[in-house]
Amino acid sequence: MKKYWRCFVCNDIHYGLNPPKVCPTCLAENAYVEICAAEAKRIIPDTETGFSKEKFLEAIETFTEKNEFRVNPDREKVMLLLDGVFNNEQNHSLKYCPCRLITKDFVEDLKLVCPCNFQIHETYKDKEDGECWCGLFIRR
Amino acid sequence: MFHGRECPHCKNMMPYVDKLEEEERIKLERLEVWHDEKNADLMRSYREILAPKCGGQLRTPTFFDPETNDVLCGEVEYEKLKEWAKK
Repeated sequence: MKKYWRCFVCNDIHYGLNPPKVCPTCLAENAYVEICAAEAKRIIPDTETGFSKEKFLEAIETFTEKNEFRVNPDREKVMLLLDGVFNNEQNHSLKYCPCRLITKDFVEDLKLVCPCNFQIHETYKDKEDGECWCGLFIRR
Repeated sequence: MFHGRECPHCKNMMPYVDKLEEEERIKLERLEVWHDEKNADLMRSYREILAPKCGGQLRTPTFFDPETNDVLCGEVEYEKLKEWAKK
């Protein structure tokens, strides 16, 4: 089960099964102590209350820069998909893929949050022209 | 047909569905699943039949005949859709 961890040097928060060996913010070693979710939420600054579509697009473009896939160059398609992703966030609480449907099993449905782990999907894996199911990400 | 309003594959299939209905006189019920909870629940109720044909998930577009349990998943050529519809 994933837990919250706090760097005792710089208050960096990590959520995962284990704490990082080295803090990615201050580079202190073996610096993480386990904390509760409520404490973590109080520490994380409330600087971004929500992403605009433009900001999200910028984030996924940065995310793909060093990967073997990129954001689909078909901008009309991308904007339709982002409409869906943002409508789903507004209506169903998370940025779910607009080309699939939630099952109402929260843990299972986390697999549908955009960007999803599409590299294991049959539409991408071992395919030269692979893409995620919805087509937001395509192989370079 | 289960589809999503903001799903580009569904959007691309709509002219084929129109053509199928016009040329073959086959009527497909179009059920939008992200903005209509009743349709979403209906699609979820067929999960055990649909998911194995769609990468283990509920995906759109999905063409489904509840009488025969025939499933066609994803964006396909018109001929493939026609073949599914005339089964």
